[in-house]
Amino acid sequence: MPKTAIWLVIIFTVLFILGINTGDLEYLMNLGNTICLSCIGVG
Amino acid sequence: MVALRWLIQTVIALGTNAYLLFPWGSVIYQGPLKAICHPGLNCYSCPGALLSCPVGAVQNFVASLRYYTPGSIPHLGAMVVGYLGFIGTLVGRLPCGWLCPFGFIQDLLNMIPFPKFNLWAPLKWVKYGVLVAMVLLMPFFLLDQYGLGQPWFCKLLCPAGTLLGALPLLGLKPALWTTVGFYFWNKFTILVLIIVLAMFISRPFCRILCPLGAFYSLFSRITLVQLEFIQGNCVECRACVRVCPTGVSPYQQRDSRECIMCLKCMDSCQFQALNFGLRRPLPAPKESAGHT
Repeated sequence: MPKTAIWLVIIFTVLFILGINTGDLEYLMNLGNTICLSCIGVG
Repeated sequence: MVALRWLIQTVIALGTNAYLLFPWGSVIYQGPLKAICHPGLNCYSCPGALLSCPVGAVQNFVASLRYYTPGSIPHLGAMVVGYLGFIGTLVGRLPCGWLCPFGFIQDLLNMIPFPKFNLWAPLKWVKYGVLVAMVLLMPFFLLDQYGLGQPWFCKLLCPAGTLLGALPLLGLKPALWTTVGFYFWNKFTILVLIIVLAMFISRPFCRILCPLGAFYSLFSRITLVQLEFIQGNCVECRACVRVCPTGVSPYQQRDSRECIMCLKCMDSCQFQALNFGLRRPLPAPKESAGHT
């Protein structure tokens, strides 16, 4: 496994954990629980 | 391998859109699984969708940065970027070939026996423009008439959202028809074009427009797994080129950014010149005789 890939795996894991601990999980759940008007093409 | 891929694509497409209570309960699934992103493109407003769409999520996180107030914690979308980057680093575009429901739909459409054509190669660069402009820049900088950032890729382009989200919801809630306008008909036209194109050209959306595929492709040269080419076994019969759904020449192009690791090429090779496995380190370059 290339060294670059190892570093990227570490960086992305840290980002993932950082996101979970800054409330991304709740934000994403709220987002997913509402109908996306943009996806429907309202407007 | 082909049968296994079909099986996995079917299971993932149905399994991640398995909410069947929409005619009676909530029109979309509203449970804890929505905190997880699908590894492929799957509209979270699809009545059956259990997971969130990663592209929609990134755009909404970017748009939300505009409303950051000092003292609060900004939602940078680090979780989604980390999640997608982790997948990309490990397997590159493999989710496009094996897990993406919209890719699966295009595969099915391409099975309709119409004449097949090659895609004009430079079009493959468009998806990087879509990723940067519509997913990363426009949600932050381009505001709608109410001064709000919007997920512009979802609003202007995404055919998966039209097919899996808009059309089923408009069927379930006919009152929504009164609210749709230019944006819907624009996306509907794009969807029809993609559907027609997919019958003649393999995976046109993935190859031209998909920002998720563009993101995953950034990791193609360093992924943990790779399609290994064994030079000595190749007789250049081009069987791998003929079956590749994304127009790659596996025997000429190593670690192509267009490769979705569907492994059709490996199946088609009679001479075991292609192998799928963990990436092995390149051999150290030999020192030349005259090197001092």
